[in-house]
Amino acid sequence: MAELEIKDLHVEVVDEETKTSKKILKGVNLSMKTGEIHAIMGPNGTGKSTLSQTIMGQKNYHVTGGDILLNGESILDMPVDQRARKGLFLAMQYPAEIQGVTNAEFLRAAINSRRAEDDKISVMDFLKELDKNLELLDMSEEMTERYLNEGFSGGEKKRNEILQLLMIKPSFALLDEIDSGLDIDALKVVSKGVNSMRGDNFGALIITHYQRLLNYITPDVVHVMMDGKIVKTGDAQLAQKLEDEGYAGLRDELGLDVNLVDE
Amino acid sequence: MNNLVKVENEPTWFTEKRQQALELVSKLPSPKMQRFDFRDWQLTPPTIKIIKTKLPKAENFVLMDIFEAMNEYPDLIKQYFMNKVIKFDENKLTAYHTAYLNQGILLYVPKNIVVEKPIEVELNQDSTQPFVSHILIIAEENSQFSFIQRMKTKGDGKSVANCVVEVVALPNSEVKYAAVDELGKNVTSYLSRRAFVDDNAYVDWSIGLMNEGDTVADFDTDLVGEGAHSEIKVVDITTGDQQEGVNTRVTNYGKHSIGNINQRGVIADKSKLIFNGIGHIIKGASGANAEQQNRVLMMSSDAHGDANPILLIDENDVLAGHAASVGQVDQNQLYYLMSRGLDQKTAQRLVIRGFLGDVLVSIPSKPIRQELIQTIERKLADGQNKTTDQR
Repeated sequence: MAELEIKDLHVEVVDEETKTSKKILKGVNLSMKTGEIHAIMGPNGTGKSTLSQTIMGQKNYHVTGGDILLNGESILDMPVDQRARKGLFLAMQYPAEIQGVTNAEFLRAAINSRRAEDDKISVMDFLKELDKNLELLDMSEEMTERYLNEGFSGGEKKRNEILQLLMIKPSFALLDEIDSGLDIDALKVVSKGVNSMRGDNFGALIITHYQRLLNYITPDVVHVMMDGKIVKTGDAQLAQKLEDEGYAGLRDELGLDVNLVDE
Repeated sequence: MNNLVKVENEPTWFTEKRQQALELVSKLPSPKMQRFDFRDWQLTPPTIKIIKTKLPKAENFVLMDIFEAMNEYPDLIKQYFMNKVIKFDENKLTAYHTAYLNQGILLYVPKNIVVEKPIEVELNQDSTQPFVSHILIIAEENSQFSFIQRMKTKGDGKSVANCVVEVVALPNSEVKYAAVDELGKNVTSYLSRRAFVDDNAYVDWSIGLMNEGDTVADFDTDLVGEGAHSEIKVVDITTGDQQEGVNTRVTNYGKHSIGNINQRGVIADKSKLIFNGIGHIIKGASGANAEQQNRVLMMSSDAHGDANPILLIDENDVLAGHAASVGQVDQNQLYYLMSRGLDQKTAQRLVIRGFLGDVLVSIPSKPIRQELIQTIERKLADGQNKTTDQR
């Protein structure tokens, strides 16, 4: 069993143009174990994506306080690739496109980066695993010979993120707005992929704006984030309540002094 | 005057041409290249001996050693060798090439012949002596074929290579030329490749410039005929303290002729790379189309790179455009790859491949594409190791 702990995390982002830094996360606490699915919900501009990018180690996000622990070990000083090999995976909202590198080649390189030099995955094993996952995600084999995300539609990119998740098998997946821009069929396929990973050795932190995704992937724990903090934690019912009452309702109930961007 | 090497049975007319050229070597100026100075390079040492080339069997076309061809096909050699596409008296280096030629190939594909399998040639430059190599490719009307040339260095001696490729593409012919140049670290080279493209003929150039030594390259295409078409793709990687200057030029003479240049260069360590993309549209070439892209990726702050588009347009009714950039590794792509567990070096190599991708994917031959990718990976990995060692 693995454990991911976020302790009193404070994060700033530097604006490239104005060179001023802005506080985004203002003391986030969260703890999760493999075997659990957590969801983070919250209004726009509240720091949800910042949290996932900070956990992964994106350079533009500066940790000014607190810690992130993976199995008790701080990962703050680790570069991105090392965090990935330790078991973290971030399904990105805007995956990069890379021409000239095929999807299949990239997947193999990612799998092999976790294995010893004399224990690389065999072509047969790789293809077997790939075929199985392609079928599960209703993706054609042709997708794997295309260049990485290049010219992929929004939906194809999201599926491709989940394909990578299934192939890489991390301990913890951070899914950043994996539902945005998906039609209902694609949403079902993506959810099926994530649900197939469920088990004692896998945990997921699902970041979403809408409750819709959580109809397909039932979370064990739901956190609500506002203004850089987690303001409420509950079970799957909490998501439903938010859907009915909106973020403003919860804010008022909690007596918080927070401006909602879209209000 | 008699210190020129020649083959035993070399025809007198050729030996005379050598001598005529020799007189010009000291008189003619070196070719010029904008923003790249190679005046101090020693590029004209005398050759020592003739080098025979092993060639694959040819069926319905001619592929032979150029010295044999002088006797077997004297008319072709007289008509085309340094006489039509590139003239022997253009500059110091073309004169030197003609005078000191010591290796060469003739490829002649007759009228209406379509060669299905790529014609492949391997050149091994021996680093103990100068290498003055010529490839003459003649595509008769309606012929179609692809030609692949690989060039490597044997040994690590200090030497000079002067390599000329002339392509004559007669009406309606289609020539796909691909080259992977891998001359060694201590080889100073002058490479000149030029095509003469006749009515509705097509020449596709895919060139991987992977030399490790100092290089001056002139890649020219003369779109002489109406509807002549050429696509020129150049991928270039420089490492160490290598200096490289590349002139890629297309001249549109023919009406409705089309010429597109797409060049990508990756510059590592303390190396220098200058890309000049030259598009020249001659008066009368109405309906001509000339596009070019020259892009350079800097891997190190000690490297020096430049991408210069130069457009010379003497006709109004044309389409012409250019794009040029000098930039750094895309951080977003790097982050994405590393977030999947790839270490920084591997991720960097893939990002570079992505940068080159646009050109790589347009190379028609899949084996050449893969071979080039492997060569690129190897060259970049070497460069990366060097950088790490220095730290």
